[in-house]
Order: sequence, then C-alpha cells, then structure tokens
Amino acid sequence: MQIPRYIATPACVLLLSCIGFAVSAEPTQLRARLLSDIRSTDPGVNRDGTTDAVVMHMVEGLVALAEDTSIAPMLAASYDVAKDGVTYTFRLRKGIQFHNGALLTSGDVVWALKRYFDPATKWRCLSEVDGRGQAKVVAVEAPNAETVVIRLERPAPLFLTMLSRPDCGGTGIIHRSSVGADGSWKGPVGTGPYKLGEWKRSQYLELKRFDKYQARSEPASGYAGGKKAEVETIRFLVVPDSSSAKAALLGGSVDILPDINESELADIQSKANIKVDISTTTSISGILFNTRDPLMRDVRIRRAIALAIDGKELVSGTTNDLAKLNNSAMPSISPFYTDVQRTGFVNNIAEAKRLLKEAGYNGRPIKILANKRYGTMYDTALIAQGLAAYAGIRLEVEVLDWATQLDRYTRGNYQMMAFAYTSRLDPSLVYDMLVGPKATQTQKVWDNPEVQALVAESMRETDKVKRQAIFDELHRRMLQDVPLIVYWNGIQITAYHKRVVGFRQWPMEHPRYWLVRMKH
Amino acid sequence: MVRYIIRRLLMTLPTLFLVGVSVFSLIRLIPGDPAQLMLGDGVDPGQLAEVRRQMGLDQPIHIQFVEWASKVLRGDLGVSLSDGQAVLPLLFERFQVSGVVVIIAVMAALTIAVPAGLFAAHKQNRAADISIVALSTVLLSIPSFWLGLILLLAFGLELGWLPVVGYVPLSTSLSKGMTFLVLPIVTLAVIEAGVLTRMMRASAIEVQRLEYVTHARAKGASEWRVLTRHILPNAFAPTLTLVGLILGNLLGGIAVLETVFTLPGLGRLLVDAIFARDYPVVQGCLLFTALIYVLVNLLVDLCYPLLDPRVTAE
Repeated sequence: MQIPRYIATPACVLLLSCIGFAVSAEPTQLRARLLSDIRSTDPGVNRDGTTDAVVMHMVEGLVALAEDTSIAPMLAASYDVAKDGVTYTFRLRKGIQFHNGALLTSGDVVWALKRYFDPATKWRCLSEVDGRGQAKVVAVEAPNAETVVIRLERPAPLFLTMLSRPDCGGTGIIHRSSVGADGSWKGPVGTGPYKLGEWKRSQYLELKRFDKYQARSEPASGYAGGKKAEVETIRFLVVPDSSSAKAALLGGSVDILPDINESELADIQSKANIKVDISTTTSISGILFNTRDPLMRDVRIRRAIALAIDGKELVSGTTNDLAKLNNSAMPSISPFYTDVQRTGFVNNIAEAKRLLKEAGYNGRPIKILANKRYGTMYDTALIAQGLAAYAGIRLEVEVLDWATQLDRYTRGNYQMMAFAYTSRLDPSLVYDMLVGPKATQTQKVWDNPEVQALVAESMRETDKVKRQAIFDELHRRMLQDVPLIVYWNGIQITAYHKRVVGFRQWPMEHPRYWLVRMKH
Repeated sequence: MVRYIIRRLLMTLPTLFLVGVSVFSLIRLIPGDPAQLMLGDGVDPGQLAEVRRQMGLDQPIHIQFVEWASKVLRGDLGVSLSDGQAVLPLLFERFQVSGVVVIIAVMAALTIAVPAGLFAAHKQNRAADISIVALSTVLLSIPSFWLGLILLLAFGLELGWLPVVGYVPLSTSLSKGMTFLVLPIVTLAVIEAGVLTRMMRASAIEVQRLEYVTHARAKGASEWRVLTRHILPNAFAPTLTLVGLILGNLLGGIAVLETVFTLPGLGRLLVDAIFARDYPVVQGCLLFTALIYVLVNLLVDLCYPLLDPRVTAE
C-alpha cells in the first residue's frame, strides 16, 4: 500500500518535529567533580576554595572580578568613587530578581552588607572593612530604592577589589529570607544564574538554572559580564579519590574533572573522548623560611639555599614541565609583571658554599615541612632536599597532614616549609599576605618595617606608574632578604568530556560553569 | 540472662568513659585549629581569635570536656563545627550506609568461608586443602583499595555493568541502590572470606582430632553428618569470635573503601572530620564506634550457647 504524498509529507514533518522536540526538551545536566564537599552555602563564611567556586554560581555582588583582574559592575549598573576617595555610590540595575522572585532594592543591599559587617556572621573578610585591614566602613546607606552609598573612614583604593574577592563570597547580595528569624543560615537566596537545588552532604550538590536571571549585556569575563545558564542543572559530585574520579570521567559518570594531578595528565590526554584545559593561575608556590628560627634568621643561609636549589629543575620536576619558573610574588599574568619581576635566583653552588662557610653552617639538619594532600608541596620538598644536598645543605623532609602544617604555618613554628598561597587579585594583596610584624602576626613570612611601609603605600597609591615602581622595589628587596622563594604560579588542569562545550579556565582557579553547554 | 545483659551493658560504661576522655584529649593534642581551617590562610589574628571564642575553643580544655560530657549524658553529641549539623542524626545516617555494606559482606564472606574451611580441614594436606589455603592467603593479603579499584575499573569502566561513582539510598530505590553497593560488598566479602576461611579451617582441624569425632565415625555416622553435626558447631565458635571482632572493626568505618566507591559512610565521615579538626564529629564517631564494638561482641557472646550448650550466659 502506498501512502499518498499529501499525507506522508506532513506526517513525516510532524514525526520529525516530535523527535526534535523530544531531543531539545531533554533536561541537560552537567556533572562536575568536587574533591571534597563544600563547607557551607553561606558566601564568604565557613568556606574553602571548593566552597567559593560553587557559591559564586548562586550569588553576585555589587561589583565583580573580570578576567584581567580589573573590577566591573555586576548588580550595580554603574558606580562612582568620589574625589575624596571615601564615598562609593552604586546605582543598581533595574528589574533584578532574587531566586525567590523578590525584586532587588537598595534596602536589600544595605541589609546584606550590614549582615556581613556584623561579627556574629563570621565573615572571612570582616577585618578588611572594620579598620583592622585596608578599609573602615563607617556607613552603608540607601538614599533611594536604586542607590547604595558606602562611606569609608579613609581612602582605600583596593576596597572594590576586596568586595569582589571570591574568598569573601564576592560580597554576594542575598535576600533576607536566606537567614532564619534568629539569624541562622538557611540557604542562599541570591541573584546568580543558578539557584540551590538539592544538597546531599558528602554525595552531591545540585544547582538549578534560575530562569528569571537577567544577564548583563557585556561579554562574559571572569565573574563579570553576561552570564548565561545553558545547562538546566549542575550536579557537583563529591569524589575524593582521584583514581575513582578518573574512572568516572572515562566511564561517563562525570563530565568534567577540575584539579587533575600533573602526573595523571599524560594518561588522560591520550583518551579519545577527553579534552584537557591547562592554564596558569595567580596562586604562588614555593618555599617559606622562618626568619625567627635561630638558624634561618641568617640571610646568608637563606640565600645559600636559594642559590643551591636549581629553580628550573625544581619547577620542571614538580609540575612535569607544565609551569615556568617565576621567582616573583607577582603572578606572571599580572599587568605589573615586567622584566624586573623576571629576574630571580641563578643557580650557583660555589656561591652557596661560600655563603654557608661564611655563616658557619656545619651541616646541621634543617627541617622542611610538607604534606601529601597537596602533592606538589610534597614534591617541592623532596626535590629541594635533593638539590640542596649539592651544596652540602641537609634538608630533612617532615610530612604532616594539611591541618597540622597549616597550624604550624599560622603559629610560625617551622624552619622551612613547602607552601602555596591561593590567588590574590592585586599585587598589593599578594605582598600584604606575606609582609607583616611577626610579633603580632606569626603567620607572616617577611618582617621588615620598610617593606611594610612600601606595601601600605602600594595600597594607597592609585597611579599605575608609581605602583609599578613600588612593586619593582618590593621584588628587588624580596630577592635580597629571601624570606621565601617563590618558584611558580599555579597550574590548573581540567579534563572534560568532548560533549562539554564552552568550558574555559581562568587565572582565578575556580571553575565557572555558566556558558557551558552539553552536546547531545 | 537479662541480668547478664544488664551487667555487660553496665560494664561498657567505664569503657565508654575512658574512650570519651582519651578521644577528647587526643584530638585536641594534635596540632590544627578548626577555626583556622574554616577561615583559611592570611586571616587577621584578631578575627581568628574571635571565631575561636564563638566556637567555644578559647575555654580551658577541662571546661570544654565537662560541657561536652554533660551534653552526651543527655543524648546530645553536639553539632559539627564544619557545617553545623547535629552529630547524632549524622552518625545514624552514615552508619546505615556502612552497616549495610559490612553486614552483607560479612554474611557473604561467612557463606564462602565456612564450607571452604570445613572442606579444607576435611581434605587436610591434600591438593584441595593446599589450594584453598593458598587462595585464602592471597585474598587476605590484597589491599582493599587495590581490589576495589580493580573491580571498579573492570565492572564499572570496561564492562559498564555497574556505576562508577555515586550513591542512592536503599530506602529510595532498592534495585538502584544495590547497584552502587555491589562492588564495595564484593570487595569486602572477598577479603574477609580469606581471613575467615583460614580461621574455620584451623578450628575444624583442631576439632576433628577430638575423640568424640572419632567416636561418631566409629558409630558409622556418615562423613556429611560428622562434618555438619559434630565438627561444625564446635569449630564455628572461635570463628564466631573472630566474626564479632571483624564486625566491630568494620562497622566503625571502612574509610578506604568508602573513599574509593564514594560512599557516604561512617569511615569517610570520621576521616573528613579528622582532617577538618571537627572535634564534636570525631568524638561522636569514636564514641559511637566503641559502643557498636561492645554491642556486637555482646551479641556474639550471647550466641555461644546456641552453638555449645555447655556455655551459658551465666
């Protein structure tokens, strides 16, 4: 029997449309691996790097960090900094909705900021705004429904940079319903492209697309610009074991795997369906010296160690040739990174031996702390031990668990340690993390009042040329004082299935899954 | 019998007290600060001190202990410092996962080990015996994480029969939930079968040398009857003791397997809590484990009279 063409054609079209509809209507989900569960969903409170990365999908601040580490407006349509440098005026975008459907007003912003500034919230960045750090907020006001004014006690050019920091939760503006009547945390009701779905602790956390999200018109850049939630749900799967995670990626149970170990790269790169993204981040890795230790307080010994360890060799061995040697605290992707920052320690065993002899070093063992949670720290300590031995320096590697090493770092209880600092947005913040009086801040590694004054000046200064000169001077002094040896900037390796489209890593390490699509 | 059980339970109180004191002190003796871990690097010392105060960590250790112990006596194990969850419900939730895996795995291991051990003893020093002993030695020598990974790669990745990561509670879907539990159960069962087979074989060899076994054979009892009615009950008693110890040990956590198979069990909870210096969770986990250990061994002791009527609870 032959079906007439006038029936067959529309029938085929209808059938194909149905199939097409069925395919397009299929819910899309991106499954991403988490090394460990997040600590909470409260932005900038009870957090770690993993937590920040997830939370930043749900909340947005007044301003956000762009890819080139500049600051761009996010919930603010625009902002002004008054000539006095202490008054910040933000004009809010219109029609922005929270995940519960409520419209964003200046009153919500004031409430959210005041909550962060309340010590009871335990916000990580409180000390940055209460006068202990770079800024002191004296008032947060809402002169009308669309304007927010923040007044500082004194000018703080890095104030907006601080507000956008991921470890501060991007100072994400949340709705009042995020907390209970007693102030206890319930869950983030933010304005981000995704909202909180189901969280099964130690198993997975699911984010759902926020359909009423209003993207900015600018192109996406870092945490700023236009975001678009392409996949309907993002499921973050907690897979602590790296072998199981790799098997899950290859077996198709996971779509994307951030934080691949350097040693696993070659194997995973050889798989046909897997793509790999390798990028340099702004974190810094190296070796810290405790300049209060009786032995390590002698700059000649610290310098001898720096000259004895062949940096290129160490970086190559630790990162499988993925990273490049950078002896500067300034990340190599920073606009302030120039030829001055490219200078560093040149391997010189003879000079190292001479300095050791001059300092009266008699082969006494020096303990270098490391841990196995972060494999590169362990490898750094081992390779440094081997290379330092050429100059007759006896390094003894002491392996601790991460919590213990962090405690020893905080208390300044070590001789040397392999360590890595998380990304900081501005070079001043990097130096601020390292420099300070050890008498009151035992975690600081560089105790030098002149250097402290330079760092403070770099924070006050807004002129780019003058800031560059300060950073150049800081680098030269760091090579002289040798309070630490920076070796390389972090490497972020992400492996993902070829059906994942649009994923791109960026210098701040935290993966961003808006704009990521799934190919059927 | 009831008096015996009550007496045994009362005897656990000093044990739990000692466990509580030692766990409370030891976890605080090791370096590491939950407030520091919560805030991360580069935080202001004043702010760190303030958060420590809010968490009650600035109090002298004996005051912290008295506060914790008084809450424990009221059935309150406190809340997690990491995420604010109540510890007791968290323990029960996680124990369900570990409990299912461990109990099914030990039962499966016994199902393999008892006949294999009996058979090996019956064929002592012959090829079958040597093969069983060799195989069980190999099994108990295999590291659980290695076997787990091999099974994961074979059945999850290569054959694609079972899921590689994830977990679905049995209460949500029995069939789907079991697919996530098959591999951890098989891994654990295979390894424990090795230990139990050797124990069962050794006990059976011991028992079959006794005069009453020779007497049974002289009476003309079949070999099957001698094995099952005369040797098995007496030979099983030492194996049962070992089962009690194994169960107590495993129920306290199979952290390595839970990590490989991404199971949200008690072992992973404990390991994560130690790394995060989450004191209430560590204390709760270890106290709970000690209690489970005591209860399982009490249950094992109560089972002895079923195997050997000469042994009574009194």
